Amino acid sequence: MPDAAAPDPFGVGLPLDTAMSRPRPGTILLEVDGEIDTATAPRLQAGLDEALDAADAEGSRVVVDLTGVTFLASSGLAVLIGGARRLTALGGRLRLVAASRSVTRPLQVTGADALFDTFDDVASALSAEASRPSPATAPPPGVAPPTRGVGR
Amino acid sequence: MSDAESLDGMSTVEVRTSATAALIPTIRAVASDLAARADFDLDAISDLRMAVDEACATLVDAADPTSVLQCRFLVRPERIRVHAEVESAKPDTVLSTDTFGWRVLQTLADDVEVLHKAATDGRRATVAIRLDKSAGDVPR
Amino acid sequence: MTRADPEYGHLIPLLEEYASTGTGDPRRERLRAELVTGFLPVAQHIARRFSNRGEPLDDLVQVATVGLINAVDRFSPERGSDFFSFAVPTISGEVRRHFRDLGWSIRVPRRLKDLHVSINGVVSELSQSLGRAPKPTEIAERLGLPVSEVLEGLEASEAYRSSSLDELLSSEQGSATVGELVGEADAELDRVDFRQALRPVLSELAPRERTIVLLRFFGNMTQTQIAQEVGISQMHVSRLLTQTLDRLRNRLDPETRVS
Repeated sequence: MPDAAAPDPFGVGLPLDTAMSRPRPGTILLEVDGEIDTATAPRLQAGLDEALDAADAEGSRVVVDLTGVTFLASSGLAVLIGGARRLTALGGRLRLVAASRSVTRPLQVTGADALFDTFDDVASALSAEASRPSPATAPPPGVAPPTRGVGR
Repeated sequence: MSDAESLDGMSTVEVRTSATAALIPTIRAVASDLAARADFDLDAISDLRMAVDEACATLVDAADPTSVLQCRFLVRPERIRVHAEVESAKPDTVLSTDTFGWRVLQTLADDVEVLHKAATDGRRATVAIRLDKSAGDVPR
Repeated sequence: MTRADPEYGHLIPLLEEYASTGTGDPRRERLRAELVTGFLPVAQHIARRFSNRGEPLDDLVQVATVGLINAVDRFSPERGSDFFSFAVPTISGEVRRHFRDLGWSIRVPRRLKDLHVSINGVVSELSQSLGRAPKPTEIAERLGLPVSEVLEGLEASEAYRSSSLDELLSSEQGSATVGELVGEADAELDRVDFRQALRPVLSELAPRERTIVLLRFFGNMTQTQIAQEVGISQMHVSRLLTQTLDRLRNRLDPETRVS
């Protein structure tokens, strides 16, 4: 399990770390820690791409654990939404572990939460039965592809 | 924003940083602190923090690398107005509002506006975002 | 750290046995001790993954050990997954939670942490009754506290916290140890730097003693809680802790004593 921590070039901005693991057969877990904003979103993108590539190759499900995330900006939401789209195209649903307001509120206020299966903790995200994508879980009107728009 | 508005007896807080994404965390921390002290509800605190981040990130993108990012908070009862400004990278810089981030910003703030100011003798062109956020009584 | 690793193979049947024994069963104590100490290298391994973030490794090992104890207690083998699948995210989750909370936890006193817990409880309650997120004044009213105190508590919570402001305003960082966080730590403990000293000593302890020390200093349990958990009297726990701490002190080089 490589630690993706990178030294911060400015020494002021907050780090964002991602770590990928396979906690059980058929499941890829991406743990994310830090604040996700324009400065750090590319690191989330890299971590998520790696997880989705692996999921694609192995036919695994993907759980993104945002327990350690203390801020989530639109740049981070865009990365997560992109990941959800890609996984939906593969016939899956992206699972998020979102426990704190700093993550749940941005998901909720933008309507993006409808794109994910969201769990309070890692254990439930890992053990929940697979949910099939259904018409009822299509993106809400606010988040209209292909422009990644939100708004109500 | 007129002077009369900024002088109606309410608190003003101003933060100035280099226009770099690395310092936005500091500005959004100030935003959430002010919102909590102004008795915003917890969702509104979170929304303002995110909106300020969004506005600053948008401006930093359009800023001259040597510019300062100036962020002024006007704290009124039940409402905070934020005015964030940078010197434009180019005299004709125009902020794009056709982005995901801008749509999120519109969702988060009650009202948001872009203000471009052309260069005048001795002063460079600036671009600013003004946003208003109420304490959160309005149900969404 | 693979499941075929001979280092852990012998522990697997113990996990099943532990999960199937009731809370009153005298075997639980021995099994739990053996499991926690047996899997300790896993916790250490995970702690090392986080060691490049400016926190002392020993602190991280302690936090990871708390995660391991949780994993051992909560693992149910009949669900068909293997222990590592469950333990690794549980342990790393604990360490990550530690980092998330670190910005405030190393400086705030017990009172604020308790306040943080009360606020969290009231927030969900008020959100229900109001149909929206509560305001600081509403939280203060419900708790019967001054607003200033609630703001202080909110600041400690992650509800609107950005650690960067904290870092900016604070010059002293990382000066506290987990030992200092254990506010009610035994007086003897204050005289030893157990972060440095405990690890080698731990490996020499008998399994039960090791468990008790882990629970006391890493699991942050009181002597009474340990007594219930392990199934011996509180007096007995106290005696074992004193003996263990004596051994620990005896082994310490004067240079390593940090007050």
